[in-house]
Amino acid sequence: MQDILPIFRLWKARTGWMAAGIILSLLAVLAGLLMMALAGRLTAAAVVAGVIAAPVLLRVTGVARVVLRYAERVVTHEATFRALADVRVWFFSGIAQRLAGGLGLARSGDVLSRAVSDVESLDGLYSRILVPLAGAVLVLPVLVVVLALHSAILALVVGVLFAVSAFLLPVLAARATAAAGERLAVNLSNLRVTVLDAITGLREVRVFGAEGRMLAAVQAREANLLAAQRDVAKSARLAQLASFLLAQAAILSVLVGLGAPAPAAVAAAFLTIAAFETVGGLPRAGALAGYAMAGARRVRATATAPLTSADLDEPQPLPRDSTLRFEGVRFRWQAARTPVLDGLTMEIPSGSRVAILGPSGSGKSTLAQLALRLVQPEEGRILLGGVDITELKATELRSRIALLSQATHLFDDTIRANLLLARPDADERALWAALDAAQIGDMVRALPEKLDTWVGEGGYRFSGGQGRRMALARVLLSPALVVILDEPCAGLDMETEQAFLSTLNDLGRGRTFVLIAHRLLGVEKLDRIWRLSGHHAVAATA
Amino acid sequence: MGALGRPGASRYAQSMDAKKKAATAWLRQQSAQGRKAASGAIVFGLLGTLFGVIQAAAAADLLRALIVRDDQPVLLAAIIFGIAAVLRGLMMMGADAAGFAAGAAGRRRLRSETLNRLLSIGPSLLRQGHSAHLAGIVVDRIEALDGFFARWIPAALMAILAPVMIVVVAAIADPVSALILAACGIFVPFAQAIAGIGAGLAARSQLAAMMRLESRFLDRIRGIGTIVLAGRAEDEAAALRVAADELRVRTMRVLRTAFLSSTALDLAAAVALIGIAIQQGDLILHAAHGAEMAAQSGRALFLLLLVPEMFAPLRAFALAYQDRGAGIAAAEALIVLPEGETDPRFVAEPPAAAPVTVAAHGISVAFEDVHLTWDKARGPALDGVSFRLPAGGAVILAGASGAGKSTVIEILLGFVRPDSGRVLLNGMDMTSIVPQALARLTAWIGQKPVIFATTIGDNIRFAKPEASATELAEAVRLASMDSVIAELPDGLDTMVGEGGFGLSGGQVQRIAIARAFLKNAPLLLLDEPTAHLDPATEAEVLESLKRLAVGRTVIMASHSTQAHMLTGRRLNMAAGRLLLGDAQKGVA
Repeated sequence: MQDILPIFRLWKARTGWMAAGIILSLLAVLAGLLMMALAGRLTAAAVVAGVIAAPVLLRVTGVARVVLRYAERVVTHEATFRALADVRVWFFSGIAQRLAGGLGLARSGDVLSRAVSDVESLDGLYSRILVPLAGAVLVLPVLVVVLALHSAILALVVGVLFAVSAFLLPVLAARATAAAGERLAVNLSNLRVTVLDAITGLREVRVFGAEGRMLAAVQAREANLLAAQRDVAKSARLAQLASFLLAQAAILSVLVGLGAPAPAAVAAAFLTIAAFETVGGLPRAGALAGYAMAGARRVRATATAPLTSADLDEPQPLPRDSTLRFEGVRFRWQAARTPVLDGLTMEIPSGSRVAILGPSGSGKSTLAQLALRLVQPEEGRILLGGVDITELKATELRSRIALLSQATHLFDDTIRANLLLARPDADERALWAALDAAQIGDMVRALPEKLDTWVGEGGYRFSGGQGRRMALARVLLSPALVVILDEPCAGLDMETEQAFLSTLNDLGRGRTFVLIAHRLLGVEKLDRIWRLSGHHAVAATA
Repeated sequence: MGALGRPGASRYAQSMDAKKKAATAWLRQQSAQGRKAASGAIVFGLLGTLFGVIQAAAAADLLRALIVRDDQPVLLAAIIFGIAAVLRGLMMMGADAAGFAAGAAGRRRLRSETLNRLLSIGPSLLRQGHSAHLAGIVVDRIEALDGFFARWIPAALMAILAPVMIVVVAAIADPVSALILAACGIFVPFAQAIAGIGAGLAARSQLAAMMRLESRFLDRIRGIGTIVLAGRAEDEAAALRVAADELRVRTMRVLRTAFLSSTALDLAAAVALIGIAIQQGDLILHAAHGAEMAAQSGRALFLLLLVPEMFAPLRAFALAYQDRGAGIAAAEALIVLPEGETDPRFVAEPPAAAPVTVAAHGISVAFEDVHLTWDKARGPALDGVSFRLPAGGAVILAGASGAGKSTVIEILLGFVRPDSGRVLLNGMDMTSIVPQALARLTAWIGQKPVIFATTIGDNIRFAKPEASATELAEAVRLASMDSVIAELPDGLDTMVGEGGFGLSGGQVQRIAIARAFLKNAPLLLLDEPTAHLDPATEAEVLESLKRLAVGRTVIMASHSTQAHMLTGRRLNMAAGRLLLGDAQKGVA
């Protein structure tokens, strides 16, 4: 239940739509009950009294029921879609706070499955459970009172049957499918992960002749999914059967147990039929709720996972000065592994040009992640303008520092949209300036669609070096005062690399540039060089 | 990140009509296959309706007894009612189970077929669409087809058979009421057809919007770090809200029309109920005496109770109409796929002649005036490339980004075929080699090897799942990964993330090299394998590559700085051509 509560809290904003759906549904149920009761009474009255009573009312209720049912369907669905969109946006904001450093060991297919299928599984909670439950709460007293006019025992028997069908069976069904529902959600996610692996790895699959293996793996995942679905369907089916038999038992009791007066008795019998019809779907919906609960659990687990570095309740304002200072920083990726950095102390003054050099694995890239609070040091602290960065708001800290990392992603969109990500209000001139600085302006100019060229998934339509330079252009476009470039020249040939580094010398005075590299070409104009060795930084001459 | 549409979407629109026809034909074929599987559901369904009619008769008898108070015993009717109810419940279970089985069988078959097709078209698909879109077809589109097999196919037949059965029964009781029932019943599919046309159109655009939302989601999830660091998480959430709203609006457009057909059905049911009530009431009023009146009232109640039985299968039909929409949309998504196949360059099917395999030892390679254009607007990628490489020889393709080096490699991998010219392996035209045989011949190390989210060991074993522990250890050693593995607490069982999280760039390349050692193929294709590495790591990786190259035919694409590190003939490329001098030497 605690998994579903945050989602219901989220839906509070949709109270208006949801309440409207429930009210329309209740009115439709009432009109339906009235129509059935009147139709029964009409026939019986014709026999007993020789008059045709209330055909006008019958027609009115008939039409009202049809119209109300339509309105109910439209409104409840509208409410559901709005509510699901709320969950998706909440989920996205949740992972954005938690996965700022990238997916890590999480699988993108699994996160996608949570965002798509698991959220989707919640769609029945309102329209198929809450709405008919509200109807059942309304119908039960009506049914009991009407029957009690004929026979107290009958009212009691039918009332109990109704309550079991509407309230107890759905709960039992939900309990019965809890495990299978969990398996269903997990196996659907596994299927998605495996299919995505086969498709993103199409090249590897072809080269290693793994088509048959991939197909077999997908079929195995699918078999697990189908088995879980079969179990859920079986429980749903049993719940449905139980609900049907309860309704039939109730109808039979009414038919056998009712006495005079005849028209009212027939009306009561018809009413019973209609009443059970309104809750007939609830036990099946209950069985599916087991799946929805699993979905809610998975959505919540990802969206509300503990934050690696939560903001303080009262964060410090962002200082004006941008000096970055590392003080006695010690960091390791896993407790069992040796520290990457140990006792690192280093200062990068505001507006300076600094290079950080070191061999592969010396912790150069880790420095950038530490500065952006993507990872936390085990010991020591990092200061921005004299303020410990743990005391700043993470979003503000990150607005001050722009990073080009090895993991920088190109989105499946146009070049323009990819660049604008860094600065939405940048004008055409600024875009071209950034592309030129990244040594890719001429290439883009030669494209027939120029800035509106689609880059493809992960920049697939361009070579690795071209994609890297687009990402570089994006970082250069960013208004951040501190720019950290982690191996900006990887994948570039020597000439392009030299041209880029020369351009860098003339870029925006007043901004800090931190160049993380394994070596220097000699064309860079630098204020300071730090060399990382033996887990800490040593100042080298510029 | 505004626009959601992909370029080329309009290209699909041109062939809309042809596509629709193809989709309809495909669906018809699926229906034929699905009907066999659904026959169980239909038999159970019809039996269920039959027991429903029996129940209605028993209930009417009980009600009549209640009204008329004659002395006929009600016990028998009550027992019949109870037995029929139990049997009917069991039939409902049976129909449901049979429907599930039909849906599962349909999905299983289509998912395998679809994935098979994707795998046989191969890597060129990734140039056409986002992997999330393709995966979405295999996962979600096929899941959505469940309703088509499990519900739509049985419901479509039941909607004809069951009402006919009821109308016949009603006609025996009272022809006029049967006529009212039949008239109201016929109105339903009629209304359905009118509402269905609109709903069908809207359903397609709705599904397209859903696929776009899914692709967008995956792309944003993969780049979540980039979004957050650019401070755009809130804007992205807002954009996501807009996309979700678009999906909602489209979906509601579908549903509003679909609900209209349900409303037409409610209306028809209400009209039938009221019509029969009034007509029967009238008959009862004019009945001559008590006995006739009693019989008449029994009939009237029976006919009234038939109304829900009549409309239940029609209701199921109306509900399943959405499943048919999902079927059409899925059919169209599947029909679009082989569009790659109409482009002869992407055809992966074996040639008409007997499939030829090439001896697996010592491969010579020759390009003869090869031309290839990926995208007309961007000019040719290869513009008349010719060279020859003896078995066991090595060639280094040098040149700037975009010179066409990778295209040479992709042709040799069989990812794409030349527009003109020939590529020969051991003197045999590549087009005559079946893809499986080609896959056995080649090992490949690209710029960004795909790392799966599993252990390091499993990632290497991807090249040869049946490899023994010794073979695996040997490949790790030859790729110089053994020292790295030794430092990891979990060794080869260390988990890594998608895209190589937890590994350095050099380590990712080493996994690819270990894969190539494990595979042990005679033709080694290297596409800038050290592009993202620093010189120290690059030198180490090249050391491993040199070991790997021994005794194999090697083609390596590389930009100038690395080119000298591997011994071999150097071919300089620019703008899709071999530079003069090289070209002449090439055709030695």
